[in-house]
Amino acid sequence: MAKHYVMLADTVRCINCKACVVACRAEWETPMGISRDWVKEVEFVKDGQPKVMLFPGRCQHCDDAPCIEACPSGAAYKREDGVVLQDDCICSGCELCVPACPYEARWLNPETNTITKCTYCQPRIDEGLEPACVTTCVGHALIFGDINDPESKVSRLLKEKEWVKLTTDEVNIGPNHYYLMAAGESLPDEVMPKLHDRHLSGKVMENVVNPVGAIGVGGMVLAFLGAGVIKLMGRRDKVCAENKEDK
Amino acid sequence: MSNTGTTQMLHVREKKIIRLHWFNAICWLTLILSGLGIISGDFVRIAPVFWPEFMQGLFGGNHNLVLAHAIVGIAWVIVFALFILANFTSVVFPFLKKVLVLTPMAAIRDTKSMVINLLQLFGLMKDTPIPPQGRYNGAQRLLGTMIIFCSLLIAATGLYLFFAPMVFAFSENALYGSIFRWALVAHSASVFLVLIGLVAHIYFALIEEPECLEAMKSGEISVDFIKHHNALWYEELKQSGKV
Repeated sequence: MAKHYVMLADTVRCINCKACVVACRAEWETPMGISRDWVKEVEFVKDGQPKVMLFPGRCQHCDDAPCIEACPSGAAYKREDGVVLQDDCICSGCELCVPACPYEARWLNPETNTITKCTYCQPRIDEGLEPACVTTCVGHALIFGDINDPESKVSRLLKEKEWVKLTTDEVNIGPNHYYLMAAGESLPDEVMPKLHDRHLSGKVMENVVNPVGAIGVGGMVLAFLGAGVIKLMGRRDKVCAENKEDK
Repeated sequence: MSNTGTTQMLHVREKKIIRLHWFNAICWLTLILSGLGIISGDFVRIAPVFWPEFMQGLFGGNHNLVLAHAIVGIAWVIVFALFILANFTSVVFPFLKKVLVLTPMAAIRDTKSMVINLLQLFGLMKDTPIPPQGRYNGAQRLLGTMIIFCSLLIAATGLYLFFAPMVFAFSENALYGSIFRWALVAHSASVFLVLIGLVAHIYFALIEEPECLEAMKSGEISVDFIKHHNALWYEELKQSGKV
């Protein structure tokens, strides 16, 4: 069976040391102030006690990734192993994909002027290594592997404990990133995916130009096919009439 | 002027215009086939999904397909630009004067004759006479005007789509990316408009008036044809002593 990579984040083990962020930035040499991964802190009060929850985050490598659907050049694509990648050679940096991502995992790299995102450290995993963030995670809060391998650590952990995905009724696009919560805790709204208003130009293309254009061209083809048939029938009638006259 | 059998033929089109027409047709065919293969994402894709997959596979990736599309597109722009520069007063300006529909009255008049013409294809308004037409009839003038403006927009937006990511740093000014996204919309919309017109153009050339197709190969058309379809032009030709 083909590999299918997933990431697990144990929010109980995460200590917000940001080693994952440092490792990612070192691995990918991201520009100042920008990182492909992050740790989101959510503070709240429970039973009169202040608490904090920690959510290591990155691209969720969704099965139905809307970034791929929004990309006009095919620069965003998904590999057979489930990893969503970005081809710098063809990316124009138009940012149509940026608001399409409900996890806010894409941004325009000011150095390359192309879109950058987490790739699960694709070159590393292709060599059989783990992503840089997983290797560096001091609390072993991040676990990465092949979900299709029943012997893998991720498969075993997914069977042993109750992991959740960051999905809502509104946004359920098959993320390949799982989270483990402390017993009795629920997912806070702050980390849930949200639909962003897509660029108007993209919506005009999808909802106006393409359907109207397709109907227009299709309608014209059908109409003129009809005209051709009418002309053929007219010619047949004319020939029949001429034949009758000849007889 | 020449005589072929009993039909008097008139030379109405120079070889360079015929060559430019067929160069344009080949470019359009190539650009449409490649262009439909470039736009990939489901939200913005125009062709069914198999076409981008086939074309990108054929060219060894979308990067090569974009490059091929751009090379043909730039060649199309350069050839037209050079032709316009070299023939502006002799060919282009007189052509524009005859074809462009720029006033509301002209648009209404041409639309009326086009509608009658089209409805007659379907057996309607058979008895309604079409007003006498000049060298270009109403439908040709409307189509020509649309194609001229759409072509200018296609050329400008196409050049921006190809060169802007190389020339401008999109991260420095949000306007660059915004123009890029709207250029993509304008590029696609203009191509759709031209395609809608091209369906009629090709139908008339192949089915209704094959003599016009012959004229786009030989440059000659029969005087009878002009007399029947382009009465005002026939009068002009008569007055100038060409027929």
